[in-house]
Amino acid sequence: MRKFKVILIIIILFFLIYFMQANIFSWFNIGGIMPNLFVLFILFIGLFVGNKMGAIFGIIFGIIIDLVIGRIVGPSSVLLGIIGLLGEYFDKNFSKDSKITLILMEAFSLLIYEIGMYVFRVIQYGAEIEIITFTLTLLVEIVFNILLTIILYPGIKKLGYYIEESFKGKKILTRYF
Amino acid sequence: MKNKSGLIGIILTIIILVVVVIVSNISTGNLSAMEGTIGKIFMPIQNGIIFLKNKIAGNDQELSDIENLKNENQKLRDENSKLQEQVRELEILKSENNTLKEYVNLKDKYSNYTTVPAYVIQRSISNYEKLIVINAGTDEGINVNMPVISESGLVGYVISVTNDTAKVQTIIDTASSVSANISNVQDSVILKGTLNNTSILKATYIPADSTILQGDQVVTSGLGGIYPKGILVGTVKNIINTQNQSDRYAEIEVATDFSNLETVLVITEK
Repeated sequence: MRKFKVILIIIILFFLIYFMQANIFSWFNIGGIMPNLFVLFILFIGLFVGNKMGAIFGIIFGIIIDLVIGRIVGPSSVLLGIIGLLGEYFDKNFSKDSKITLILMEAFSLLIYEIGMYVFRVIQYGAEIEIITFTLTLLVEIVFNILLTIILYPGIKKLGYYIEESFKGKKILTRYF
Repeated sequence: MKNKSGLIGIILTIIILVVVVIVSNISTGNLSAMEGTIGKIFMPIQNGIIFLKNKIAGNDQELSDIENLKNENQKLRDENSKLQEQVRELEILKSENNTLKEYVNLKDKYSNYTTVPAYVIQRSISNYEKLIVINAGTDEGINVNMPVISESGLVGYVISVTNDTAKVQTIIDTASSVSANISNVQDSVILKGTLNNTSILKATYIPADSTILQGDQVVTSGLGGIYPKGILVGTVKNIINTQNQSDRYAEIEVATDFSNLETVLVITEK
């Protein structure tokens, strides 16, 4: 029952993020550059729920994004699936309790996602290669995402541990004397 | 203590983000709005100073009949709210009228073609892709590869379609390429979208012997099989000369305002 509730929360959050990306960030942007909250969201699922759920939600939400506003179904779902898988890898190797590591994980995930999408567009559709403009746009996007992560961090942590507890059970921490 | 500093950090980040967003989106055209805002802050102070000045000078006649002024004020307030309501109604009618006019103008302008009107219902959520979704699909006779235009000029072409929606790749997308003619140039040039500016296209393959001037009109050449000949794309804004004459390119300012694009026409028969 609790897992079902968590899945429902994740689905509602996805639609909320979609609404924000499509409507709010079309005017609340930095010089026309929008953040990408989907990457943060899938990373969040991978970190707190695990790589399987991260990958599954990444693929499903990616398919929805591709269907609604993509050219073909595939690129977003594959890359978001990879971000979901990366989540647990990050969780095992780094501490998600630290704001700095969370920000670095997010920046790295965003780099992978956007570079992947750009390379795909260049190869598949012959998009113009503009390395300098792309790099600058990506940097602003990363900074925008980082600022949003700092703002959302308390909420991410609180909800994250609630979700983690629902899927993985309570963590027993060893006490050292 | 830690919580408090965390909260201050979040508030500071919000302030920084809002300031960055506002500053990055400000253009010279928006300075009049800023002027208005500053005016709103300073004008009451200025009015207060004038009032005090008048009072000192003995011009305090207006305070002699406060009751009358109060009644008159109330009457004016009522009248004002009624007028505001009327203005609101008129605004709604005006906006409906504008949309209908846009449709009629579009239809008249491109009467040679069979067209289907549609609204833009969704825009890209990515910084690197410029696609739009319109509210017309196969049910309205729309198919893949049909050209899409606006009142001002070319918009793009349909890349996929469902029963009641269609996805359009706009000409400002970096993956788009349009064959076009510049006013005095015989040969066609290739227009491509750029990442850094959503109102500029890059015109390449400009013949070495051709003379291009700022303000020259750019229209579709009809080559490529998607866009019909003669649809306005934009005007030449800049010509960038390089050492190698064949590498020179021109910046084309698009005729369509993509940031405010709401209604489009899909050409179903050329």
